[in-house]
Amino acid sequence: MEELAPRIAAYAAEKLPGARDVTAFDVERIAGGASRETYRFKLRFREGAREVERRLILRRDPPGSLIETDRAAEFAAYRAFHGSAVPVPEAVWLESDPRWLDYPFFVMEELVGFEASPQAIVMPPYAEHAERTAREKWTILGAIASADPEKLGLTRALPVVAPADAWRREVDYWTHVIDEDELAPQPIIRAAIRRLRRSPPPPPRRLHVVHGDYRTGNFLYDKDGSIRGILDWEMAHLGDPLEDLAWSLNRTWCWARDGRVGGLVSKERAIAIWEAASGLRADPEALRWWELFSSVKAQAIWISSGREYTDGANKDPILALSSVWLTNSQDRAMLETMGKLS
Amino acid sequence: MKPEPEKLLETIAGKLMVEIAPNVQPSYRQSSVLLTALLLGMVREEWDRAAARRVEENSALRTIFASAAPSVADAELRKRLEAAASSRDESYRVSALETANTSLRALLIDLHAHVEAQSAPWARAVEELIWRELAASTERRRFMLAPF
Repeated sequence: MEELAPRIAAYAAEKLPGARDVTAFDVERIAGGASRETYRFKLRFREGAREVERRLILRRDPPGSLIETDRAAEFAAYRAFHGSAVPVPEAVWLESDPRWLDYPFFVMEELVGFEASPQAIVMPPYAEHAERTAREKWTILGAIASADPEKLGLTRALPVVAPADAWRREVDYWTHVIDEDELAPQPIIRAAIRRLRRSPPPPPRRLHVVHGDYRTGNFLYDKDGSIRGILDWEMAHLGDPLEDLAWSLNRTWCWARDGRVGGLVSKERAIAIWEAASGLRADPEALRWWELFSSVKAQAIWISSGREYTDGANKDPILALSSVWLTNSQDRAMLETMGKLS
Repeated sequence: MKPEPEKLLETIAGKLMVEIAPNVQPSYRQSSVLLTALLLGMVREEWDRAAARRVEENSALRTIFASAAPSVADAELRKRLEAAASSRDESYRVSALETANTSLRALLIDLHAHVEAQSAPWARAVEELIWRELAASTERRRFMLAPF
């Protein structure tokens, strides 16, 4: 990894014209989402008489990834929420020119000393704070839902869609991913897609910011169960806020394997927290539609990861594991939502 | 093959997890070793049932097609259903069973979409058979460590 260090330093020096003696060191790849290669590193430089050291995260596009996403949208989402009730790291630089590090990338602040693992959250010492973590988790999601994308500048960074078409755009996009990437016929997901198209949900009153991957595993928490950073905004878009709520409730994230959503609390409790925080109502029928959609989208991602691994574009075992381990659970989740799980 | 593949995979996965992974740095590579061990555990689980679940499923799908074919008015679909219903698994190699399974599941999707569009009672009965088989298919594919 150290071969990246001088290249990162050269880039940082270009971005910090007032800085001298810019060095990057302790570059280490970390498991930080499967859609981009994630590295932590330290950057040291002199600014006047002062020596500055920053701990930063580099998110670089890989040759093949689990989710094909727009890094500019992710960067914009971090920027938009920085300093708000939605805790996010500071977004520092966005770079699309591959001459620096071979692929496009962005750099953000590292939030140090916190846990992200979905497996750890259901075990001591974190498990005893499940109620607090849940309260913060769905309160923050409520804050995302109640945010005004126009005021945040996100209607310029993210594609705008008519509220009535928000569901269709998502279904079309993920159906296309499945059409392109499936390695074997998928009767359950095809039945689910037909059902989604037959009975669309009511449109939201307005467009909302949708995180797109809001789940246990994509936020940082401390030993007291407090959430310190919301990460992985690579699928952020504008749409229906129930999409995020439904995604957060997905069966596949029941990490404690006991029905508690996100490994934290009951589904009813999570919905109640979100409703109180967002000021919105989660209509049960509409939510069920989005829950089915969330399984279709998740399955599309597992299918896609299996394709990437099989084609050899990316041999990261997380891609194979996602496909092998989660595809069947997702099928079962779809059957359950459709009332067909015997 | 002795030791049995299951035993080998179980042992290798255990060694990777307990002895090798803790000594691998940096954390990203350590995590890759752990994920590989988990994958080997699933391959072990799949190895024993690979042929059985495909034989069972292929047979169940052929039974559904045989039951549906006489009621299907679409001549082209009916012909495909009849052909699939009378087919047999000639080889029990997993690759051959998988090829047949892929073709049968593709036809199941077409039949499912077709009966959903029909209002007659026979269509509801076939649809019920399909849902029951789809639920059974997820049971056959379940992993011990599945989150759901």
